[in-house]
Amino acid sequence: MKKSVTIYINDKPYQVESGQTIMQAADKLGYHIPRLCYHPKLSIEGACRVCIVEVEGMKNYVASCAYPVAEGMRIRTHTKELRTARRDIVELILDNHPDDCHTCERDGICELQRLAYAMGLRHRHFEGEKKNYEKDLSSASVIRDPNKCILCGRCVRICSEVQKVNALGYAHRGFKTVVMPAYNMPFSESVCTTCGQCINVCPTASFVEKNYTQELFEKLQDPGYIKVAQIAPSVRAAIGEAFGLEPGRAMERETVAALRKLGFDYVFDTQLSADLTIMEEANEFLERVKNNGRLPMITSCSSAWMKCMEQFYPDLIENISTCKSPMSMMGALLKTYFADKIKKEPKKILSVAVMCCTAKKYEAARPELRVNGLPAVDIVVTTREIAWMFKSAGIDFVNIKGEDFDKPLGLSSGAGTIFGVTGGVMEAAIRTAYEIYTGEPLMEIEVNQIRGLQGIKEGKLDLNGTEIRVAVAHGLGNANALLNTVRQDPGRYHFVEIMGCPGGCIGGGGQPYAGSNSTPLDEECLKKRAEALYGLDRQKIIRRSHNNPDVRRLYKEFLGKPLGEVPHKLLHTHYKAKEPRGIVSQEMTLR
Amino acid sequence: MSTPMELIKQKRAEAINRIHSKGYLSTKRVYVGMATCEIAAGSKEVMEVFSQAMKNGLTDVYLSQKGCAGRCNLEPTVEVVEDGKIPVKYCKVTPEMAQLIVERHLKKGEVVKEWLIK
Amino acid sequence: MTRDFVITLCDGPSCMQKKSKELKEAVEKELEKHNLANRVRINISGCLGMCKNGPVVVINPLYTLYGQVTPADIPEIIQSHILKNKPLKRLAIEEDHLYNRFFRVFGDVNFFGKQMRITLRNCGIIDPESLDDYLSVRGYEALAKVLSGMAPQEVVSEVKKSGLRGRGGAGFPTGIKWELTAQQNSDEKFVICNADEGDPGAFMDRSTIEGDPHTVIEGMIIGGYAVGAKKGIIYIRAEYPLAVKRLQKGIAAAKAQGFLGENILGSGFSFDIEIRLGAGAFVCGEETALIHSIEGHRGMPRPRPPFPSVQGLFDKPTLINNVETWANIPVIIIDGAEWFSSIGTQKSKGTKVFALAGKINNTGLVEVPMGTTLKEIIYDIGGGIPNNKKFKAIQTGGPSGGCLSEEYLDTPIDYDSLAKAGSIMGSGGMIVIDEDSCMVNIAKFFLEFTQNESCGKCTPCREGTKRMLEILTRLTEGKGQEGDIEKLERLGNMIKKSSLCGLGQSAPNPVLSTIKNFRVEYEEHIRDKKCRAGACSAMAVYEVTDKCVGCGVCKRACPVKAISGAPKAMHEINQDKCVKCGLCFRNCKFDAIIKKG
Repeated sequence: MKKSVTIYINDKPYQVESGQTIMQAADKLGYHIPRLCYHPKLSIEGACRVCIVEVEGMKNYVASCAYPVAEGMRIRTHTKELRTARRDIVELILDNHPDDCHTCERDGICELQRLAYAMGLRHRHFEGEKKNYEKDLSSASVIRDPNKCILCGRCVRICSEVQKVNALGYAHRGFKTVVMPAYNMPFSESVCTTCGQCINVCPTASFVEKNYTQELFEKLQDPGYIKVAQIAPSVRAAIGEAFGLEPGRAMERETVAALRKLGFDYVFDTQLSADLTIMEEANEFLERVKNNGRLPMITSCSSAWMKCMEQFYPDLIENISTCKSPMSMMGALLKTYFADKIKKEPKKILSVAVMCCTAKKYEAARPELRVNGLPAVDIVVTTREIAWMFKSAGIDFVNIKGEDFDKPLGLSSGAGTIFGVTGGVMEAAIRTAYEIYTGEPLMEIEVNQIRGLQGIKEGKLDLNGTEIRVAVAHGLGNANALLNTVRQDPGRYHFVEIMGCPGGCIGGGGQPYAGSNSTPLDEECLKKRAEALYGLDRQKIIRRSHNNPDVRRLYKEFLGKPLGEVPHKLLHTHYKAKEPRGIVSQEMTLR
Repeated sequence: MSTPMELIKQKRAEAINRIHSKGYLSTKRVYVGMATCEIAAGSKEVMEVFSQAMKNGLTDVYLSQKGCAGRCNLEPTVEVVEDGKIPVKYCKVTPEMAQLIVERHLKKGEVVKEWLIK
Repeated sequence: MTRDFVITLCDGPSCMQKKSKELKEAVEKELEKHNLANRVRINISGCLGMCKNGPVVVINPLYTLYGQVTPADIPEIIQSHILKNKPLKRLAIEEDHLYNRFFRVFGDVNFFGKQMRITLRNCGIIDPESLDDYLSVRGYEALAKVLSGMAPQEVVSEVKKSGLRGRGGAGFPTGIKWELTAQQNSDEKFVICNADEGDPGAFMDRSTIEGDPHTVIEGMIIGGYAVGAKKGIIYIRAEYPLAVKRLQKGIAAAKAQGFLGENILGSGFSFDIEIRLGAGAFVCGEETALIHSIEGHRGMPRPRPPFPSVQGLFDKPTLINNVETWANIPVIIIDGAEWFSSIGTQKSKGTKVFALAGKINNTGLVEVPMGTTLKEIIYDIGGGIPNNKKFKAIQTGGPSGGCLSEEYLDTPIDYDSLAKAGSIMGSGGMIVIDEDSCMVNIAKFFLEFTQNESCGKCTPCREGTKRMLEILTRLTEGKGQEGDIEKLERLGNMIKKSSLCGLGQSAPNPVLSTIKNFRVEYEEHIRDKKCRAGACSAMAVYEVTDKCVGCGVCKRACPVKAISGAPKAMHEINQDKCVKCGLCFRNCKFDAIIKKG
């Protein structure tokens, strides 16, 4: 039990637990002290100074995010002087920020804009020089615009603390301070894994995804293409938030309908190719178990994780499943099987992926994933982008009447649905692998030991007396911890699932921005999104990938056997170690 | 076993012996300022003149470096300490002046009064 | 003029009370009587730290201290010491304080004699690269004393009792820091020496290390013993290669003699010191930024609490003190807390080193007891302002300090008085400013430095100082606007109260203090577009006077063709075209062009 102390906020006494900060205590008491650099998931920065309060007896203001409460402490949260100081601080931030709100990507959903309004900033006193940097457009996924950066450091912290990638840091001093990759190299050449978490936590538009909406609008008007969309599982779990709906409301059939209204000829489900992934991956796993192949096998669906692996864990390449991601599998089918089926030239198929993810943009551009010389996926747009397109095209998404996916690539099992949540790929694989191995269906189909938002989860499975040990990590920081265990003790697990983003794809870098009443990556929100997908899974009659009739037909008509020749060519790939600039090579350390 | 205090006294006695054996008890002890500021003002060259003079047979002189005494605009400084006399403090010493200090003061005992710190 | 003898009379406050003036008269009378006036010089020193024996008289050569001297003793002293060359045993005091060795060599020079050297006691006296030299002046005796029977708590309480306060700038009581670190339960603790001296013009830390590296090392070992740390780190800027070299040499020598390493002097206590080089960021002098830098991160401060004493380097309890603070420790241990606390003022004990610079005759490092007035430093030690210029201000505390005007010259120098006057002690920079300097320009200079060196983390310091700098810049360019002073004050006060670390919290000081003390100069810049010191060149007006002979040199020199006039006739400057470059002014051989502020 923590000790309780008496504090006074604006002269009112309160009993609060000791050991917490002024801000934490005030939050619980209904005082929302304005803040900017603070993020509950990240370390305390104390940089923006917006959350300053007066504490009696202190010469200076204190940052309430960092200062602990103490017995008898007298705190004032909005005296006249304090309000002026806060207002001036926010003006100072704004004075060094472009005045382009109306043409900004985050107009209306920008934390700085909201804060400036709330602080009562109606005119300026201190305007002067503004920073002027080039935008970094080099990355396939993330645009970095230092001009909009207000140096709150959230991106730096999430990249180092949650993702442990450390692609971003501060450079230079004073007014010239700027957040950049090491040596100011282009983002594309840095260690950035393109996960997009910097976008999620950025209060302004200093980080945004590489936007393909204009290109897509144009191509949708082009009669020369058959326009095909695929939707990732977690898009439907979160897209409603972009339209003001409560988190956790699944909008599956609505999204299908809206995509058709936008101009797509076919709308398919990435969940079907997720089922396909399970067919290949479960068999690949069992092969490895039977033939003493390299274990643990590690999943390969998460694009950010794949780039991370190539850079930081090249020693584990042999452990990585050779399966392509569900998106790329679907893309490969579209440019082969589906093109044949509708008797069109593959290059006439416009393959568009609607993803919760920024890293998928990078994945789509990988040369090794091309199919017969064509990209498997032509355009990747995020949940945010497609939501904006719906709004821009005047589609009444909230009230739209839902529609079904198209055939032949629209039917999925519940196993494909839960791919979007951390632990879902593993759970789906277990559902199938168990049955293939034992010949019996798994009775307890919901594998609760690997569900939830715990950073690293472990589970055990009895395959007719063979114990299979599995582990799941989400977020690259947790992955780092788990993989270090794997490196030290390779025999500890048989099968490992890694997702690059916190919560899995539902917390992807392309998901809707947090609204005015929530914080980015809020755990409650992630839980609701996860529940949306688990709910969809529960509603389904078919909850095992191998029971998906469309998948069975696909093997029968086109693919042959899992791990067979056609799947090998279309559904599998290989990875190579990457050494981006900024990583000291082993050769160099030896020298 | 001896206490640290006993040990330090012993070590000090040894240290003083070593210093004495280097000629500390010579009539004249010459200290040349050798901190960064002094060196920047040219004290290395001044030191060189004195050590060269010693090599060339100047006797009864103990030569040592020292830190900065704190009188920046008068550097380089050189002290000549003689028992029973007020320590002599030369300022803004150049190699040429050092040569003359060797000739006049160290060899003939004649203090070059116009170069002293006032 | 050199004489054969120097008689030094202590003029410290305590001896003064005990009538040192009368002594001086007695000495003068006696010298006259023996016709010795041209062989003996009388020197008046600052406090010699022997107050309980005061009044004190020192005679050199045959360096002898005479204590409790009355005017009646003077004939006997002169008879014996000067006429017979035999120190008078009856009144001579036997003393072996650490601090006054410096005085033996330098005490007769006014600049040095007024000082009291504790931190710098060995600087300029011993060979800094010789451990033997350090040992010969009772080096490592304090360590031996501590290890020979003082419990760690006793060491802490001795430091507490001494009243020593942090010499790095903030003046936090050192003993409390030690106590807090000692109280922490931890498997590992660290001791850090902050030698990241970044104030422009301040070099007392460099000088201390270069002149006497072992005193810092010894202080740190004692600190390690007191708080229970086994590892010390000296964080020093890479721009100090000689200091680094002397530290390395010192550490190696101390290890070889068993003062560092395992089982120091057979006591069972082990301690080691490592050197880390800083890359010269000013902010790394801030303790949390310094710790980040040692850990391998970018040097950026973090909010406190937790304080380093609780959670410091690698999250372990860490005792971090500045070079000057460490150098005081051996003296406190040997000469005792009681003696140490007898020096200085009520709340600021001991001495402080200042780097005296700017428009002053004697520039250099001075160490004086706390409580010495600014006037004494500037005029008695510093020798006043050169070229008969008028004193205008003194800037103390480096770029984070403030500018004090003439009315503050009687301010005694201690942490609290300086803060009350609107400046700070800081690390001890002291820049004298004369009438030729513009206070707006001075404020701009310091703010430019802090803005450049701001780590960029917190908004007030990063953005706020930039805006203040912009306002100051336009003031010096003659583009000031009504309301600019108020904006400077508004921003300055907000930055002071809201910034994350000491850098930001003190960055506006030069501006706020110059506004407070020299507001009229700001107003002149704004309203009259005039710089009274003539330092803001953009506001200067150049005019041709009737001294002009029409030689045409200025006309040819002018890069914008603003000067016209027929040969041999008086020339004229077109003020609209003039860009105030000053070339005409500098090129005129007849002083016919004048510059107006």
